[in-house]
Amino acid sequence: MKVFKGFEYRRGTTPIHALDPRAKLVYLMLFMALAILYSNPLVLIMIFASSLPMVAIARVFSKWAISIRGSFIFVAFIFLFNLLALYFWGGNTLEVAVLSSLSMAIRFISLISIFSTFFLTTSPEDMTQSMVQMKIPYDYALTFNMAMRFVPTLSKEAQYIMDAQKSRGLEMEKGNLVARVKNYIPVLIPLIISSFRRAELVADAMESRAFGASKKRTSIYVLRFGGKDALFVSIALASFFALLSLRLLLSVP
Amino acid sequence: MISLEGVTYSYMPGINALDHIDLNIGAGELVAIVGENGAGKTTLVKHINGLLKPSEGRVTVCGLDSKAVTVASLARKVGLVFQNPDHQLFAETIEKELSFALVNFGLPPDEIKRRTEWAISEFELSQYAGRSPFMLSGGERKRLALASVLCYGPEVLILDEPTTGQDNRQKVRMASLLHKLNQQGKTVLVVTHDMEFVSDYIPRVVVMSHGRVIADGQSGDVLVRRDILERASLVPPQLAEISWELGLDPPSIRLDDVVARLAKLIGGAKA
Ligand SMILES: Nc1ncnc2c1ncn2[C@@H]1O[C@H](COP(=O)(O)OP(=O)(O)OP(=O)(O)O)[C@@H](O)[C@H]1O
Ligand SMILES: [Mg+2]
Repeated sequence: MKVFKGFEYRRGTTPIHALDPRAKLVYLMLFMALAILYSNPLVLIMIFASSLPMVAIARVFSKWAISIRGSFIFVAFIFLFNLLALYFWGGNTLEVAVLSSLSMAIRFISLISIFSTFFLTTSPEDMTQSMVQMKIPYDYALTFNMAMRFVPTLSKEAQYIMDAQKSRGLEMEKGNLVARVKNYIPVLIPLIISSFRRAELVADAMESRAFGASKKRTSIYVLRFGGKDALFVSIALASFFALLSLRLLLSVP
Repeated sequence: MISLEGVTYSYMPGINALDHIDLNIGAGELVAIVGENGAGKTTLVKHINGLLKPSEGRVTVCGLDSKAVTVASLARKVGLVFQNPDHQLFAETIEKELSFALVNFGLPPDEIKRRTEWAISEFELSQYAGRSPFMLSGGERKRLALASVLCYGPEVLILDEPTTGQDNRQKVRMASLLHKLNQQGKTVLVVTHDMEFVSDYIPRVVVMSHGRVIADGQSGDVLVRRDILERASLVPPQLAEISWELGLDPPSIRLDDVVARLAKLIGGAKA
């Protein structure tokens, strides 16, 4: 559950932190599209690599590494599951099955990397504000903001729950893959239930303080899209089209 | 039974949540651990069942070094009940919840059945049999969480804040349960902020502050020491305050004692 730490925003003063969330969002969308579009492992590795300079400039390597390391178990699972499905049930040759499971796994890691970079360097408040400025209804923006806000709470709670279940003899690392996945049930159920309880609590607390009483909201602080943001978006767009041309000109899969 | 020698632990470098703790607890003792928020009480009890391992020093429980064994094998001997029952309840029915630990520890099915039935009757949960743990009230969920640990019969039982959110009837019941377990020879540790509960029911108290043990002894001796209580942000028991106000020497936390001496004072004043 430490994997959450790899997505948790920490204040920073680097140029990446200072970018307008909308600029980073453009990058996120473009490269997510690429990751879904391509199945060539080399291109997927390039997409993965695109986040590395950002990680370096933002100096969030250790946090980013947590999310990458934490996703390994899922990656292994995705790889194995795809391999089995494609080879045994899909009737593909071993080579095709391995190659396509491999790209599935790299795609997943690339997406994790892109998202981790985004969330590590973008404050939830700025994110909400940028959504509002993009004319997304405030209720949705707020829902998103609160979801983000509760990630650290959730990860702490997951730790408490694991402690409690281990104290009752639960051994998370015991058994084969299926058994290990099953071991998560005693952790996930209390986590989900207490999230619901908390959601209800927060809703009650907000309504009792007259949330939504005034329809027109104003902001103290308005985000500005500046020269640096334009530069960043241009670089993102240029690399996007460069990668896209591989498909258009060379028909890379 | 439980021994901590020079135990130091830090979550973050530079800040010691536990700072050279020395503590010995004998078999069959009933001990309260008190101290301000963040004193390190929860951190301490997590060392006793092996969830945390000391950065320095040694923890020995029932002759086992906590560093040399797994949490599961230590948990078999040390039952730890956390403050919030919602951090552990997950099963579809109360029976399944109760048998979770029993299954994990590999007990035979007939034994599991016997112990589950025992826990249901002991904790007065039979009216809820077959129902979901999430239908229970807060206090009942807390009782179920306690039952689910007690039913596997650990030699040491540790309760983290068992009385918060409990009405007085439940507190009294809790106290009598603790005494009953204690009489069966179990070692019981209670982490709490409820000083009245300690002064009324628990014979030995360990006071913690900033990761250290600042006092350890008979409740009657420790809970009347102003300096200690102030350092650990503890509310003095009412009887201790009355003793101070009346200038009783030595102060006392026992009702019959205070009443007897008060009667003497009044008698003396009349005469
Ligand atoms: N998971 C954690 N990560 C970092 N620091 C922690 C963690 N858990 C506890 N601490 C810190 O360790 C210290 C001791 O905490 P602990 O939970 O043991 O206190 P406590 O005596 O149980 O307090 P309370 O009465 O509030 O339950 C505190 O300063 C706390 O901030
Ligand atoms: Mg605590």
